[in-house]
Amino acid sequence: MDLKNTGVSISESSSSKASSSSVMPKTPRNLNPNIPFSTTQFGTSNLCFDSGANQSFHAYQPALGMQSLPLYHENKNKDHQVLDWDPRVMLNNLSFLEQKIHQVQDVVRSMICRREEGQFSNQANELAAQQQLVTADLTSIIIQLISTAGTLLPSFKNSSLPSNPPGGPMGSLIGSEFRSDSAKASEYEELIKGLSNAGDEGDELIKYVNACGGEGTESVLIEDDAMDGDNLPPGSYEVLQLEKEEILAPHTHFCLICGKGFKRDANLRMHMRGHGDEYKTPAALAKPSKEVSLEPAPIKRYSCPFRGCKRNKEHKKFQPLKTILCVKNHYKRSHCDKSYTCSRCNNKKFSVIADLKTHEKHCGRDKWLCSCGTTFSRKDKLFGHVALFQGHTPALPPVDDAKVSVVSDQVQGNDLMNEGSIGFNFGSTSDDVSLLDIKGADDDRGFFSPMNFDSCNFGGLDEFPRPAFEVSESSFSMLPGSYNYVRGNGET
Amino acid sequence: MRSDHAAITVLPVDLLIHIIDLVPEPSDRKSIRLVSRAFHRAECLQRRDLKVLRREALSILIRCYGAIERLDLSACAGLDDGWLAAALGGGAAPELRKVNLSRASGVRWRGLAAMVRGCPRLEAVDLSHCVGVGDLEVAALAELAGLKELRLDKCLGVSDVGLAKVAVGCPGMERLGIKWCLEISDLGIKLLVKKCRDLKALDISYLMVTNKSLHSISTLGRLEVLKMVGCYYISDDGLHYLNNGNNHNTLLSVDVSRCHNVSSAGLASVVTGHKTLRKLKASDCFIELPSDFLSKFGVLTNGFHTLKVDGSEVSVPRLKTIGANCKGLIKIGLGKCKGVTDEGISELVSNCAGLKTVDLTCCHDVTDDSLIAIADSCKNLESLLLESCSLITEEGLEYIGTSCPNLQEVDLTDCDIDDAELKSLSRCSELRVLKLGLCPDISDGGIDYIGSKCEKLQELDLYRCTGIGDDGLASLVYGCKKIRKLNLCYCTGITDQGMKYVSCLQELEDLELRGLTQLTSLGIAAIAIGCPRLVELDMKRCTSVGDIGFQALARYSLNLRQINISYCNISEMVLIRLLWNLRCLQDVKLVHLTQVRREGFMLALRTCLDKLKKLKLPSNLRNVISPALIQILQDRGCRIRWVDKPIPFFMRDSPPSSPDP
Repeated sequence: MDLKNTGVSISESSSSKASSSSVMPKTPRNLNPNIPFSTTQFGTSNLCFDSGANQSFHAYQPALGMQSLPLYHENKNKDHQVLDWDPRVMLNNLSFLEQKIHQVQDVVRSMICRREEGQFSNQANELAAQQQLVTADLTSIIIQLISTAGTLLPSFKNSSLPSNPPGGPMGSLIGSEFRSDSAKASEYEELIKGLSNAGDEGDELIKYVNACGGEGTESVLIEDDAMDGDNLPPGSYEVLQLEKEEILAPHTHFCLICGKGFKRDANLRMHMRGHGDEYKTPAALAKPSKEVSLEPAPIKRYSCPFRGCKRNKEHKKFQPLKTILCVKNHYKRSHCDKSYTCSRCNNKKFSVIADLKTHEKHCGRDKWLCSCGTTFSRKDKLFGHVALFQGHTPALPPVDDAKVSVVSDQVQGNDLMNEGSIGFNFGSTSDDVSLLDIKGADDDRGFFSPMNFDSCNFGGLDEFPRPAFEVSESSFSMLPGSYNYVRGNGET
Repeated sequence: MRSDHAAITVLPVDLLIHIIDLVPEPSDRKSIRLVSRAFHRAECLQRRDLKVLRREALSILIRCYGAIERLDLSACAGLDDGWLAAALGGGAAPELRKVNLSRASGVRWRGLAAMVRGCPRLEAVDLSHCVGVGDLEVAALAELAGLKELRLDKCLGVSDVGLAKVAVGCPGMERLGIKWCLEISDLGIKLLVKKCRDLKALDISYLMVTNKSLHSISTLGRLEVLKMVGCYYISDDGLHYLNNGNNHNTLLSVDVSRCHNVSSAGLASVVTGHKTLRKLKASDCFIELPSDFLSKFGVLTNGFHTLKVDGSEVSVPRLKTIGANCKGLIKIGLGKCKGVTDEGISELVSNCAGLKTVDLTCCHDVTDDSLIAIADSCKNLESLLLESCSLITEEGLEYIGTSCPNLQEVDLTDCDIDDAELKSLSRCSELRVLKLGLCPDISDGGIDYIGSKCEKLQELDLYRCTGIGDDGLASLVYGCKKIRKLNLCYCTGITDQGMKYVSCLQELEDLELRGLTQLTSLGIAAIAIGCPRLVELDMKRCTSVGDIGFQALARYSLNLRQINISYCNISEMVLIRLLWNLRCLQDVKLVHLTQVRREGFMLALRTCLDKLKKLKLPSNLRNVISPALIQILQDRGCRIRWVDKPIPFFMRDSPPSSPDP
């Protein structure tokens, strides 16, 4: 059977020497546990894995950057071949995978045996190498499984998703690489390793992009409720309505065993470790991978549960909210008490803590003052106000202190900006499961006081309980937030 | 005789007031005032205008003249918050309507606030050229709810906030000048227009405002005068706004000079939109005037009387179009216009017989033919400006002299004229202003014609007329007793004898004597004693004048406000005495006084700390004079200019002692 002609991209992974025996190995490998792996069939792969471990990332970068595009086209060219897939080939693939799994099982067993024999202390290095090997093998198995499954997908050939789901390009890369030169096993191995990393990274990247997108809509929302950006015709989307309790719940992730709530899924997973060993496996700890959407997901929009609100689906001119985040912020801003008061001016109140944070950055820096006492951050707003009300005039700064206060304001402003940028960096990096988050496995306050992050306006790590996604919001809030604040003034 | 005197003194006060009402001349009024106590009291009650020159007299004068309505403090030396508050803060002049504080650079918001408290009925305030004035001062004025007229030209500190204060505080504002208030932007103008709907005159010259401001201004329903000289950000779009606005029937005068982004198309829309337009000034705006734009003037009513298009290209057909469409023109300004020829001028004036002012400055191609055409058509000509029209001769001026008996102002600077032309011109017996600068061919004989005929002459410019000597001045002074302003700079033939003649001019206020190296202390002493009204004196490079002359100035010329003694041989002690004694002194130029040491300068400046408004010093003193002194001067509103010029060679070797004979 000629694999190349079948058009199946993946049928083989790390076997470098015997492509003919790869489908059905005649002899089970590594029957003798004493023979180190480096001398067996895995030798090259092992070696190359070692080098790959060092270079995988660097090697991967050019691979993705330069090769991905032509490879992708190549992949497109053979799409029609993928379309008429052969069940027999699939079966071959599956059996190969089974074989592979058995091999890994053998390796692991051998490791157990050796440990029982007490060779552990002598061959610690070898053992570590074997562990790495197992990990690498498992990774390749997983990738093969995914790509095999990928050949079945009708939507795969489209790969219409703009953000390149991890499965698509990866499969194509593997396939084309394999097709081009199956003898270059070392490079292949390297590539796989790189891709497995890339898969994670890409995943993260996508998540990050999504988060940014969410922020974008959020900022639009802040700017004007009426301007959502997309004018979807009614009926073209699915309207969801969360209940008030759901919206206001501080936690969104709950432990199924003890019922404890968490703001982040990652924190929940860390918590789950305490409930038993089965939750300690890498699979259980790994991030739930995103499934490749088979078909374009139905567009979801959200409705505010408050009756009579324009954002409620019963309203005549219903304008839906884009994301859950929008719902939460909208509900808090519009239908909840403003419980957070600015400690500087003791005047402004907010219901969303991020708004307070934003305000506090600017509070006291308003230099445009009306005779009625209202302050403005912008001159044109003040003049608009003065034009509107009879008898109001712009107030002049105090006679002598003017220069001093301006200077101190500038200094303060610079400090604030610096802090803001620090917060921004931290916020973006710790967006995912970060070390800090793991430490702060739940929302009890005071966890970070030794690290004293509170002093630098550090977005997600403040003392107040809040949903996980607000981390990124506050870290991004410098730009949209400033507008928000102005609007708040304009209303008063 | 004695009984007559008694009869007048027993006249009741109301009749006396009525009599005094009919006496316009200040000197006559002074005579009346000195007749008796009753006359003095009547004069005090009758007087409505007051101009104060010294701050020490201010309080007393205000108490004395309680009925004044207009007060001019623009020439009051050393006026500051304390003096102003003491004079006006107590309500001594409750009827005061108008205050002129132009160039009163020492006045700040405290003084203005006191003035506003004391004179709540003020309607007009002039703060122009008080460069230190800012929002605080304007805010103090904004308490005057009845303020109708405010000039803030070159009040550099005034921003939108100050303007907003005025706009809100004085809703009845009618005339506002904010020329050169560079901080003011569209926002301020917008608010002003929104709050002050009665604005009639608005001057936004040299502001950084854009078309948005014109959009706002176009909504003013009563606007009559709009000046926007040098508004670089205003373009045709803005003028179109003006055309579509609410002031179609009110706008009388528009000045768009030096608006470089305005084209004739935009201005044409203004002209067609405002048929009542009377004045249009568009100097240095466009390079050429399209004839279709000029033909738009035809839609204007006959009231259109002033057109100024300096710096444009005006060919013969253009001038013809102007003449055909603007028959009612009274003033036309064609200064520095290219293409102005005799033919064009004759086409223009043949239609515009009513012209009174013709400005042909630097129209080099103009010859006698133009003058003949003007003389033929414009019998009512009052002002003729011909600077640098060097082709004109006695023939043309002969026609002007015979045909235009009302001519009051003639500018012949740099026209290469000689005595014959002056003879022709001397027929204009109504002449008030005559400028003959840079005409070295004029001799004493030519001046004699003027002196014998033009009795009403008030202003004579003989800058660099080197042919003139003492005899010419003798005949001039003999005939023209009313001269107030005389420029004799670099007429190097003039000696002390000439100064003795000039000292007979009782009315003389402004005398320029630059570079008259033959003058000595005797001549200056004669001027100091003979011309008590002297306000300005320029003695730059009068190197032969010594200490005695300056001592005489210090002793007698107590009204001097400006003095330039740069490059003069004045000694330290006399300089100190001069600056100390001249109590009205406000503007001093002290460049390169080689005999004065640093300590002398410091002492001299200390003596006049509180009265100076402008000071010119050589830059080598900058690091020598104590910074504290400079700071005090500047805090009191004095502007110091540092001049960086080398000391001329002839002064380096001059002996340190006084060169007086």
